[in-house]
Amino acid sequence: MSTRHCNRLCLNQKLAILWMFLSGAIVSSSEVETSRPSDSRNSDDGKYILRSYFDRYENLDDPSFENFMTHELSPSLCQVTPENRGLGVRLSVRELSLVGEGSHRQLSSSIRLQTGAESIPELPPHICEVIIIQRLPLGVFADPFELQNLHKRIGFRDMAVFGDTNLELPSFRSNRSAVEVHIDAGSDILFTQNSGMEINMLLPLHARYQPLDESGYSIIEIGEPDILTRCSMEGKQHKQSCLFMSSNESGKSRTRTVEWKIPAGMKAHAGFVSVVTFITASLSTVSIVYASMFWSGTKVLKT
Amino acid sequence: MNSLKPGSIFLISAILRVGLILYGEWQDEHMEVRYTDVDYLVFSDAASLMASGQSPYKRTTYRYSPLLAFLLIPNSFIAASWGKFLFSASDLFVGLFIRIILKQRKVPDHLCTYSMLIWLFNPFTFTIGTRGNCEPIVCATILWIIICLINGNVVQAACWYGLIVHFRIYPIIYALPIILFLDPRFFQSGVKPLLCDWTSDQGKIRQINSQVTDQFDVWIAFKNIFTRSRILFGLVSGSVFLLCTGFFFRLYGWEFLHEALLYHLTRTDPRHNFSIYFYHIYLNYERDLSVLEKLISFLPQFIVQLVLVFCFAKDLVFCFFVQTVAFVAFNKVITAQYFVWFFCLLPLILPWTNMKFKWQGVCCILLWMGAQTHWLLWGYLLEFKGKNVFLQLWMASLLFLAANTFILILLIRHHNYAPVFRQHTGVKTTQKKHE
Repeated sequence: MSTRHCNRLCLNQKLAILWMFLSGAIVSSSEVETSRPSDSRNSDDGKYILRSYFDRYENLDDPSFENFMTHELSPSLCQVTPENRGLGVRLSVRELSLVGEGSHRQLSSSIRLQTGAESIPELPPHICEVIIIQRLPLGVFADPFELQNLHKRIGFRDMAVFGDTNLELPSFRSNRSAVEVHIDAGSDILFTQNSGMEINMLLPLHARYQPLDESGYSIIEIGEPDILTRCSMEGKQHKQSCLFMSSNESGKSRTRTVEWKIPAGMKAHAGFVSVVTFITASLSTVSIVYASMFWSGTKVLKT
Repeated sequence: MNSLKPGSIFLISAILRVGLILYGEWQDEHMEVRYTDVDYLVFSDAASLMASGQSPYKRTTYRYSPLLAFLLIPNSFIAASWGKFLFSASDLFVGLFIRIILKQRKVPDHLCTYSMLIWLFNPFTFTIGTRGNCEPIVCATILWIIICLINGNVVQAACWYGLIVHFRIYPIIYALPIILFLDPRFFQSGVKPLLCDWTSDQGKIRQINSQVTDQFDVWIAFKNIFTRSRILFGLVSGSVFLLCTGFFFRLYGWEFLHEALLYHLTRTDPRHNFSIYFYHIYLNYERDLSVLEKLISFLPQFIVQLVLVFCFAKDLVFCFFVQTVAFVAFNKVITAQYFVWFFCLLPLILPWTNMKFKWQGVCCILLWMGAQTHWLLWGYLLEFKGKNVFLQLWMASLLFLAANTFILILLIRHHNYAPVFRQHTGVKTTQKKHE
């Protein structure tokens, strides 16, 4: 009987060991090919404007970003018609709002693209994309991996987060970040007059833990995104890209903002919370220690 | 209930888990709130990085051993839910191991079945595996280590122990009780230790012995600390741990050491969690805490662990259970997934409790769930409604610790202290002969 029991037991044990190794063995015997998740360090041939910015500046701040957009980006914009920066492309933010409640919200922006009013017929064939750069204030972040999943589902052309992408740091230990989204605008849009193409974007954002504030809340302000259109021209010799800024003067501070009220710890609680926390921990410790000493000392005796 | 055969129970459990994994795929695809645990996406991203020959630590917030990413590599080329099947299979193995341990300790069949059911049909545990949480692998390995130990297989237990401490650091708390458990009076080379039967522990009454004879045992334990099995266990488990850690350090460098090991040892999270310390940490995060302050927050954990180990080490499974409950309760960071660490040990101690399910057991369950739900309510208001309820949430954490402490004391009070082994007859004679 005991041998039979042992046999069954041993079989179970062997099965268990086999399973534990199997999971590794199956993996090691196969070759894998997969696409890697979003990584801001990818080489992208100048695709992302924010990469050029972060190559030059360590952190995101409004004056240096606006200076970058005005002086460092604009002069190298369009080699096809450098004197014609507008080319009839008008971009405007029509609406900016925060959707939802609490620490996880969505920034909704509605962008209008108008073309064709000053169209230049001698332009070569081209394909255009709208580039949206949403600068985020301190205390709010976008999760690059969440955006990556969103990207797969929605089908934006490109999407990336730059700056401080550490998702766990509280506001006072982190730096700012920004999201760059590329959306297809179609081909040869500069040839035709278009009364308006509406782009609606919902960007999931998360609140970081805020610095202590006696009012119990921090107010975070999020400004309008910077919007640009980039068209790839079919040149005779090689492809050329043209960037068109939004209708607002580049470098001009963004006018519209939305506010996000985020709960913050109150310094007034500090002393009280620390004392009560340690008293509770001590009381709990003493009761467990007492119960253990007392009840583990109970010995069993046969009736 | 008695008519249910273990095979049928496992089959139903497996079908349930497969159904939940498939349902999870559907929910992820069609609903705004995902069924899949967000950590599973982290593991999968890390696995696909590893598959493409890169470091899994390029995935921010991946803070596990590279072994986990390695196990999940097939997520990229077999099925995205491969890992969930792996975790759920481990979950089923936990059920099997519960049965093996209880059967070996001669627990009656119907109690084994009840204990298995408590694990296999606990909504908390079957959702954790099917949502893609890796804890069932840790639970299965811990139970396997117990099986090895009660069968006197010290080397194998040490190998798995070294591996699991590398994989998930928290089982390090079991090192001292295992060392104490490897008592030379029970573990002799070439002789299988004799198990105490469940039946022999029953029909006894408890009597308070104010002399606490265990103190004497502790002295013996200290005197005989350097025995063959203890040294063997320490050396083998330490070597496996160092080997794994050294290997991955060579592959992934400081990033691995920092993310997978040092991060967990030094972790202080200011974001809200079940721990009583979270608000204190948040309020003091902008300044550096003094050594004394750090020591004060560490002391309760240290004292409780030490006392529990010295009081219950010989009843190893019970010792593991109370240690884990206390460790989680006093931790500086507590998330719901940590509860599974002691859920897997609960079915192993229930046959030795004299607490009546009606109504003591029911009250304990309701108290624990009530304290947790109360916390979750405030957590919801803070996180999803944006209300400043930090103070209320912190008080809910205090209440949760009080509930945990109360239940732990009740379990200790009602536990039939049952050492796993009994002494070999004629041990003294053998020892004398050796001398």
